[in-house]
Amino acid sequence: MTDAYGGYGGIAQYNRDILTALAQGQIVTQIDVMVRLAPDAAETLPEKINQAPPIKGRVAYAFAALIKALQTRPQLVFSGHIYHGPLAKLISKLTGAKLVSQLHGTEIWDQVKPVHLEPLDQSDRVLCVSRHTKSCLDRQSQLAQPNTLVIPNTVDAAFTVGDTQQAKAKFGIEGEKVILTVARLDTRQGYKGHDRIIRELSHLNSTISEGVIYLVAGQGPDLPRLASLARELGVADKVRFMGKVPIDGLPDLYRAADLFALPSTGEGFGIVFLEAMACGTHAIGLNIGGAPDALADGELGICVEESEFPAALAKALQAPPVDPIALSNAVRARFGREAFTERVLGLLSTLNS
Amino acid sequence: MCGINGIFAYHPASSSPQEGELLRTRDAMVARGPDGQGIFWNQKRRIGMGHRRLAIQDLSDRANQPMHCPHQRFSIVFNGEIYNCSELRRELIAQGYGFRTTSDTEVLLQLYASDGSAMVARLRGMFAFAIWDNQQETLFLARDPYGIKPMYISDDGWTFRFASQVKALLAGGNIGNEPEPAGIVGFHIWGSIPEPFTLYRDIRALPAGHTQLIRNGHVEAPKPYVSIADILASGAQRTSNLDGFQHDLRQAALDSVKAHLIGDVEVGVFLSSGIDSGALLGLMRDAGQQRVRALTLSFAEFVGTQEDETPLASQVAAHYGAEHIVRKVTQSEFQADLPNIMLAMDQPSIDGINSWFISKAAKEVGLKVVLSGTGGDELLAGYSSFIEVPNWVKLMRGPSLIPGAAAASRFLARLSGIGVASPKSLGFVEFSGTYEGSYLLRRGLFLPRELQGFLPPDVLSLGLKRLGLLKRISSSLQPDPGSAIGRVCAMESANYLRNQLLRDADWASMAHSLELRTPLVDSVLLNQMAPYMPKIRALGGKATLAGSPSRPLPEEVLVRRKTGFVVPLSKWSHMEAKNFAANAANKGQASRQWALKVIAAQAKDAEGKAQIIKQSPIQV
Repeated sequence: MTDAYGGYGGIAQYNRDILTALAQGQIVTQIDVMVRLAPDAAETLPEKINQAPPIKGRVAYAFAALIKALQTRPQLVFSGHIYHGPLAKLISKLTGAKLVSQLHGTEIWDQVKPVHLEPLDQSDRVLCVSRHTKSCLDRQSQLAQPNTLVIPNTVDAAFTVGDTQQAKAKFGIEGEKVILTVARLDTRQGYKGHDRIIRELSHLNSTISEGVIYLVAGQGPDLPRLASLARELGVADKVRFMGKVPIDGLPDLYRAADLFALPSTGEGFGIVFLEAMACGTHAIGLNIGGAPDALADGELGICVEESEFPAALAKALQAPPVDPIALSNAVRARFGREAFTERVLGLLSTLNS
Repeated sequence: MCGINGIFAYHPASSSPQEGELLRTRDAMVARGPDGQGIFWNQKRRIGMGHRRLAIQDLSDRANQPMHCPHQRFSIVFNGEIYNCSELRRELIAQGYGFRTTSDTEVLLQLYASDGSAMVARLRGMFAFAIWDNQQETLFLARDPYGIKPMYISDDGWTFRFASQVKALLAGGNIGNEPEPAGIVGFHIWGSIPEPFTLYRDIRALPAGHTQLIRNGHVEAPKPYVSIADILASGAQRTSNLDGFQHDLRQAALDSVKAHLIGDVEVGVFLSSGIDSGALLGLMRDAGQQRVRALTLSFAEFVGTQEDETPLASQVAAHYGAEHIVRKVTQSEFQADLPNIMLAMDQPSIDGINSWFISKAAKEVGLKVVLSGTGGDELLAGYSSFIEVPNWVKLMRGPSLIPGAAAASRFLARLSGIGVASPKSLGFVEFSGTYEGSYLLRRGLFLPRELQGFLPPDVLSLGLKRLGLLKRISSSLQPDPGSAIGRVCAMESANYLRNQLLRDADWASMAHSLELRTPLVDSVLLNQMAPYMPKIRALGGKATLAGSPSRPLPEEVLVRRKTGFVVPLSKWSHMEAKNFAANAANKGQASRQWALKVIAAQAKDAEGKAQIIKQSPIQV
């Protein structure tokens, strides 16, 4: 996989969740994890899991993975990224191991090359993070029926409902309505959708009496452009760029917000929706890609077409507050650790049968 | 006979199904079941099932569906008829199971309680059903061995849906309508869409002779429990004494006809001038049916030609003392009905027009159930393919292996002009060396190569890969049926009969709320005939069937040239009118033209019209 323990972002989180769940399988004795990246200090790993030090170079990584596989003779090879497919396929062929491949979402939105499609078609199971991801594979696969299983992101136990006022105070918010986005600041035009919110701030501040501020958590190369956009539109004082917020600071940040907004056009799933809603904060996103899954087609969060977003955003800020406990419970019922682990272990038993 | 559907939110992340969708899908099938309707939700509202009823057995409301067992553990929706249901009921009663109705639905319910998924092996009949186990929270689906009754499924990764019709699933509004390249390519090759594909990527058929389980949040792959090839292969092991053929066929056919006459309403028969339907009529008499109404279509265009069925059919009807109803169909009625035909046609098909009008005729005279002779040619080696395919394979097995022979033969055929009059001749050397290849040549409307420059390259290439054309045909030969005739029987039964004839029979009859029964498409009968299959032609084949009723069919029926149950389609179809003079001798060409027209109309009718039309060569 690209990254897992010691990695940052949605994919690393998902990989950790899968590995942690797999390690709970009774038939699982050992999991060796090979990663390309691990920028953060590795935490304590769950029992049965070993993660080798990261190897960034492709050739060296492939070589090390092959050696490891030949030494340990695994029964299951888990390919955490489409680009690792050919290598994972080779290893599974050499060792006779079953092959499970993971699709995180956007990597399969466009037509993929045969060299990456073939290992998917030859996998014993392809895990898809969302219904949309499965549909993208269904569209491209050369099989009559690809062998897929949708396993959505899960949400960490740390994300719970807490004291909103205390959280607001922590971030120095007094009385204003708060919109929050947690995402990388990507330069691809409009991808995460910060622009869509900045462009509405002036209008929102003129219609909502308490005033509206926008918290932008995350770092990335798009920061200068977004900052200058806010200045141009005269809302620089309404936007706070907070940089990278460490994981343990996120729950309070979500709690401090009145609305979590990620009008992104490129979400494979959007784990941050789950985190926000598990903290009891209402969420809004677009009906594109994997986001409708996280928002449960509008049953958990607001899920709208791109063109309807400005009106829906204004309406959501003025709507009566949602019941945070009920929202959090509903998110956990669908996406909680228990449901997730059950699905992963279910996968193991169907592979084993 | 009915329409069934269901929505199961099997994934913990999925939202509970909406009643509106359940009803929209169910009520898109109102013609399948005009006599009653019902729905069922489990307590957690994770699964809903719907049913539209055509009442045939136990006409009372007690037999309405969804039906539940006394302890409410099992709930069922069922489309079809179980012909051995009284025998099964007796066994179950002996085991202590109680019954509240006389319907076969309740027998299925109790048999599942008793035997679990292994129950399907006990069933004689045509069926597609779904059983919800409220204790284990599992959904079980099953479809009959021949695929007489349809079952379509769709799984988006969170929610599983099923229904008797593709168009009904689409009417629910939550299934995507992106076209399926394998469906489009398959249709152009065969004239019907080979299962499990449909015109849509997100909808598949539960294959004939398969069951499927959804449990523990996982949709298991459909599992085969029997195939035509299985039955033939095991029969080939039992070939010993062939003297009993005449006797056994008579007994087995009579037994099948008797079984197919069950129910609480009158059963009629579709009568052509051929052996199959005539023999059925004779056997209905032998089975003790007093009043029989027999229906035949007549076309002004055919009067005085070999294709006119009526004179001989009338003679057969009189021979067996049946009331003969001749229904005239004119070109103007055909034109007037065409929009409704296209609407009722669940999946594009180049055939089915005849079934439409004969079913319409049956409904007009108040019949709810009729027997049809479909399947006699597959069972008793009646098609010319039973001679041609094995001959081609014998002749061409060697030459087709010579490198370059296929290309050279295509070149010569083109040069000589044969390729223009008969485009399929271009593929003769390439395909005729194997059973599956010869079968493709025999039944295919277009060969894959011909579709180049005709379908968009990406659709053709992906469609062909998914279809795995020859591999798919040869899968109907696993395990080996053990003889040349057995192989053709398996290929005809699992392809042409299943994907074309039976599917057309279903939508066309259901559109008129008519239950069509096919005593010659019966796995018990096939099993009884399987030991004779290798020699079934030499033993007398269909002529023996003609002699099976205690009063044999008149000699004239045996000597008549085979025409099938045809309509003057090429004369009527507007588009062909211009070319008809040029192509009058070539039915194949007319079928091709018709195929293009049908898919264009289907695409126009479908929600996803823009995309399908883009992928289809004809613009409307």
